[in-house]
Amino acid sequence: MTRKAIIYAIASVFTILIGLNTLSLSQAQDTGKEELKLQLPKPMFIGTPRNIKTANLEVITGKPRGPFFAPKGTKLVSLKKPVLSSDMQPVIGELNFVTDGEKSGEDGYFVELGPGKQWVQIDLGAETVLNAILIWHYHSQARVYRDVVVQVSNDKDFVTGVTTVFNNDHDNTTGLGIGKDKEYIETNEGRLVDPKGVKARYIRLCSNGNTSNDMNHYIEVEVYGGRGPGLYPGDPLPPYSPVNTNHGRVAS
Amino acid sequence: MNKTAFGGLFLIVLCGAVLLRGPGLGLRPMHHDEANQAVKFGLLLEKGEYRYDPADHHGPALYYLTLPIAWAAAKPTLASLEETTLRFLPVLFGVGIILLLLVFVKDMGRPAVLLAGLCASLSPAFSYYSRFYIQEMIFVFFCLGFIGSIWRYLKRPGPGWAIASGLFAGLMYATKETSVIIFAAVAGALVLTRFAQKKRSGGQAATAGMRPAHFILALAVAIVTAALFFSSFLANPKGIVDSVAAFQAYFAKGGAAGFHAHPWWYYLGLLTHVSSGGLVWSEALVLALACLGLLSAVLKRDRLTVFLSFYTILALTAFSLIPYKTPWNLLPFYAGFILLAGTGAAFVFERVRRRIFKIPIGLLLVLGFAHLGWQSYQANFRYHSDPRNPYVYAQTSPDYLRLVRRVDAVAALHPDHERLLIKVVCGPYETWPLPWSLRRYERVGYWTEAPASDGFEDTPVVIASPDIAAKIGPLLADKFQAEFYGLRPDVLLTLYIRNDLWDRFIKNKD
Repeated sequence: MTRKAIIYAIASVFTILIGLNTLSLSQAQDTGKEELKLQLPKPMFIGTPRNIKTANLEVITGKPRGPFFAPKGTKLVSLKKPVLSSDMQPVIGELNFVTDGEKSGEDGYFVELGPGKQWVQIDLGAETVLNAILIWHYHSQARVYRDVVVQVSNDKDFVTGVTTVFNNDHDNTTGLGIGKDKEYIETNEGRLVDPKGVKARYIRLCSNGNTSNDMNHYIEVEVYGGRGPGLYPGDPLPPYSPVNTNHGRVAS
Repeated sequence: MNKTAFGGLFLIVLCGAVLLRGPGLGLRPMHHDEANQAVKFGLLLEKGEYRYDPADHHGPALYYLTLPIAWAAAKPTLASLEETTLRFLPVLFGVGIILLLLVFVKDMGRPAVLLAGLCASLSPAFSYYSRFYIQEMIFVFFCLGFIGSIWRYLKRPGPGWAIASGLFAGLMYATKETSVIIFAAVAGALVLTRFAQKKRSGGQAATAGMRPAHFILALAVAIVTAALFFSSFLANPKGIVDSVAAFQAYFAKGGAAGFHAHPWWYYLGLLTHVSSGGLVWSEALVLALACLGLLSAVLKRDRLTVFLSFYTILALTAFSLIPYKTPWNLLPFYAGFILLAGTGAAFVFERVRRRIFKIPIGLLLVLGFAHLGWQSYQANFRYHSDPRNPYVYAQTSPDYLRLVRRVDAVAALHPDHERLLIKVVCGPYETWPLPWSLRRYERVGYWTEAPASDGFEDTPVVIASPDIAAKIGPLLADKFQAEFYGLRPDVLLTLYIRNDLWDRFIKNKD
């Protein structure tokens, strides 16, 4: 191979790489996505349980999670929103801890629900385009929460119009269907769930104890909403827009 | 306090103790120590075999005392035993401890005994380990029996109390090797009490010592009792010699504590204040009342209170100085604190004469006891396996019960049912309590290392510890569904279920 051919080959590869990069950037711009800026609490433990390596447990890389791109204008819509639960009288903490914006893993920042299957439900106040859900169950000890299922709906009783956006209940213990997502070890990064722009007012998160004890814990749940065809709850209404009084969104 | 009122109130205290100890005995998964004892007892139950092991497992009393309970419950085999059957024994002795306090009524007085009974009944430490199939609660019962008998003898020397003290001493020795610490603490306390009396009365001791004939009688009863147990009721005379040889192993264990090494203040810390994961635990009320008991010993110079104070301090010091510590080891000296707490509380009411002060003190005590009872409830019924509970120690996680239930569920679907072949490949640290949980399965094999070839083709269910799962996991990946379960905090087990059985299980579930 001549020297000229080598130079041509390198130049071609370089050009292709730059082209691909430009293409991906323009695609991100085309779809109107940007990196979602997340504020993480400080880590509370180093290391993980010994040699956990099983088929239905997410591989532990020890590396930080990569960036998450969400549609432009996505913002936190769950802060201070009301929370319901299957255990309305928790022994430790308050239900409003789930959406109070405090994510520390220390004592005094989590709510403890009773043993076995339990859920919490966040009411966003209006139907919202959901772009990301970030969950911290308990991150001061390496543990795995069982049968984590995240569902969204416009029905507060979750009877109709229910969409499951995360489910690692691999044997249908909860009766909400067999989940294909893997179980994972809790860390300060929380679990990021991509609801892929589904629209809903209520978010329900289920769990069924954990590998350390029977209890269910929540430090914080953050729901990030996007603009889509609706508005953020609490946004001022645009002038002259017909309003659906049930959900406070612009009717199409 | 008149006799009727005392009787009625004592009965209420006793009922409280039963309520905190009796219900839900199967709630907590078997601790690996309990499981180990249970399987050892199963051998005695089924085959009548027991050999004292000088290296481990403590004395034989626990196993032999469980026999009548298993017979009464019509459980003739290990497989038929339940957690509730076994844990009924410590419940009996846990409640029995409160009844034993009646021995001290003559010297302590009714109010003090009633209040001590209330402390013992509501104490989270006492109630928690009264539901635990290990030696501790029967050991504390025998210790209290020994202390009570000795004291009664010294007050009224006679062969009856001498025999009783010998019997309790023999049973203590046949229960746990730490009995020697209690013997030393009791002896030390007696000497110091005598010395204190002499000093006070100018060289004249108020209580008589033990008469030589009675001492020999008590010693003979103790030796015969212990020898019968250690020799497996004469079937294994070597057990008697082994019981003495065991101290070599236990002295070594006490010094080189490893995982169980804790600082000297460990026990006092556990009892005073433990805060973990949003939960706060404290039995400081009992300690505070016991301090008042110590004060009354100094001020009133009551001989029993002085003796109990010396005993408690000596036993606490001895147990605290041994590097090897487990939370249940605090019970023998904590029993002393409880007796002193009763005396202390009664002392306060005795000293405070005006009703206007007695009422708020009484209310404070009611609140304190209510808090103690609430903690007991939480410790036994809600946080029974939670590492945030200060008395939970290397406890099997409730998640482990899911593994057991899963094995039961797939076995029910397999044509072999209880003859289902199960292979357990775990290190010794991760094996227990599996032999207890899988006791109903006839074909369970245990290995501590992964086999050279996979050798699992014929096996529907495999259980592996994490290090072994890392080795055999790739071999089983295509043929088995893998699940993991928490055994203890940060210790997991992997359960492999062959795909055909798993599919049947899921289909059946749907």
